[in-house]
Amino acid sequence: MTRYVMVIDQRRCIGCHSCTVACRTWNDLPLDIVYNPVLTEGVKGTWPNVHRSWLPTLCMHCEKPACVPCCPTGASHQDEDGVVWIDYDKCMACLACVNACPYGMRDQSKLQPRLHRFVRKCTFCRDHRAADPGAEPYCVATCHQKARIFGDLDDPNSEVSKLIGSVETVRLLEDLGTGPQIYYIPELGGKA
Amino acid sequence: MRHHYWEWPIPTYLFLGGLGGGIFCLAAILSFFVYPDVPMMGEVLAWPGFLGICALGFGCIMLVVDLGQPMVFYRAFVKSTSVLAWGARFLTVCAIFGVLWFASYVPWDWFAPIAGFLVPFRGFCLAIAGLSGTCIMLYTGIFLSTLKAHAFWATPALPVLFTVSALSTACAAIALSIGWWPAPFTLESVIVAELSKEILHTVDIILVVVEIVVLLVMVLSFLGAGNKTANKAAHRWVHGSYAPLFWGGMIFGGLLLPEILYVFGGHSAASTLVAPVLVLLGGLLLRFMVVLSDDRAPLPGEDRYYTRIADKDDKFVKAWTYGENIF
Repeated sequence: MTRYVMVIDQRRCIGCHSCTVACRTWNDLPLDIVYNPVLTEGVKGTWPNVHRSWLPTLCMHCEKPACVPCCPTGASHQDEDGVVWIDYDKCMACLACVNACPYGMRDQSKLQPRLHRFVRKCTFCRDHRAADPGAEPYCVATCHQKARIFGDLDDPNSEVSKLIGSVETVRLLEDLGTGPQIYYIPELGGKA
Repeated sequence: MRHHYWEWPIPTYLFLGGLGGGIFCLAAILSFFVYPDVPMMGEVLAWPGFLGICALGFGCIMLVVDLGQPMVFYRAFVKSTSVLAWGARFLTVCAIFGVLWFASYVPWDWFAPIAGFLVPFRGFCLAIAGLSGTCIMLYTGIFLSTLKAHAFWATPALPVLFTVSALSTACAAIALSIGWWPAPFTLESVIVAELSKEILHTVDIILVVVEIVVLLVMVLSFLGAGNKTANKAAHRWVHGSYAPLFWGGMIFGGLLLPEILYVFGGHSAASTLVAPVLVLLGGLLLRFMVVLSDDRAPLPGEDRYYTRIADKDDKFVKAWTYGENIF
């Protein structure tokens, strides 16, 4: 079995937003949609002991996604490899999935024509990888700091497997029980 | 973090759907269990049934209007496991059988062949409409409570609250409209209507008390023991920006005042007219306040991020046209 996950190394992220730009450009996103915002709480601490950390986010491609079972049209799917995606031909934009996502990673663009809106989300660049099986999602390929690492968790030789097995990782809002598949390596002394 | 993905059509629908479902549920109970041997009961309840159909129909329009693609609303019936899909089915079944039941009472001459054909199926139609109406009342609260991303909704108290409120508003609506056209203006129909009103008033007195208890238990338990997100929403309700609407609008105006008018108003207009209207307005306000309390636990830095990116009304954002990216 294949189980796609992403490891995000917060020790390496410098908050350049290249991943956001690459995603927006290659996926031709409307201006009011961001699949992978890079968050920060700003500078913390007191001078001279200050630090700042960055939290690159995206759809968590949860093991038990809350957004899939609530969809009345069957547009929200989860592939066997764990990737959660939306069939735009089936979506009617009722926003049930948008409200179900605990991470706020789904939205519809209000810049699209009123009668032709649909809900969008990150798909780990599913179409791109279908055309080129060796390809990585654009946000991973563009990250010059190698802060985003993508791979198959069920492959013991993959980089993500080795990282998750050897370094302490955390996941966001794990207590909700959705099993998010984005693993964060927190910056030194920090938390995701 | 509050997004308000769902706008005013959704709480309006939740109110109207619950109201319409509740009317058919109570109409079935009154017809089959309270006055099973009174032949005028159907005629007397026909106008409230028509109002129930209007509520369901207008509620469906609200649902469709809120969709990003209203023209393909029929996709809502596809998936068998989704609560929302089941809700759409219950709505459709209730509306169809409600219309058939009401049509059997329409007294127009030109309509007589159709009404006559439907007369033998009146009981069956009302039973199906009543059952599906009950399911509508239940599902609206259940659906919201399954969305555990929103801590204020994810409580078993919400389906109870919405169901009790739906029954209460249905009591009020039936009490306001029972005995009108197409019921003939005879002594028997007037007596049946007045007796039904008495029962509905008594039932509504109990339901309003239950609603006050459930509402306070839900909000105050979030205030005292809810997680951070639900606690924040409860604070807003109890002593924040929603407090005037909660205490003044919902608790006093929508529940306590009609309760007092029901109990001490006798047969005055205050009891028979003002109190039911206040109950209906309270029910609508409840749906709006609950849906607008869609707080979600923010990710670290999320509030900061979304307050700093371009507003959707910014000039350059509006100037952008979909499909014009150069890549």
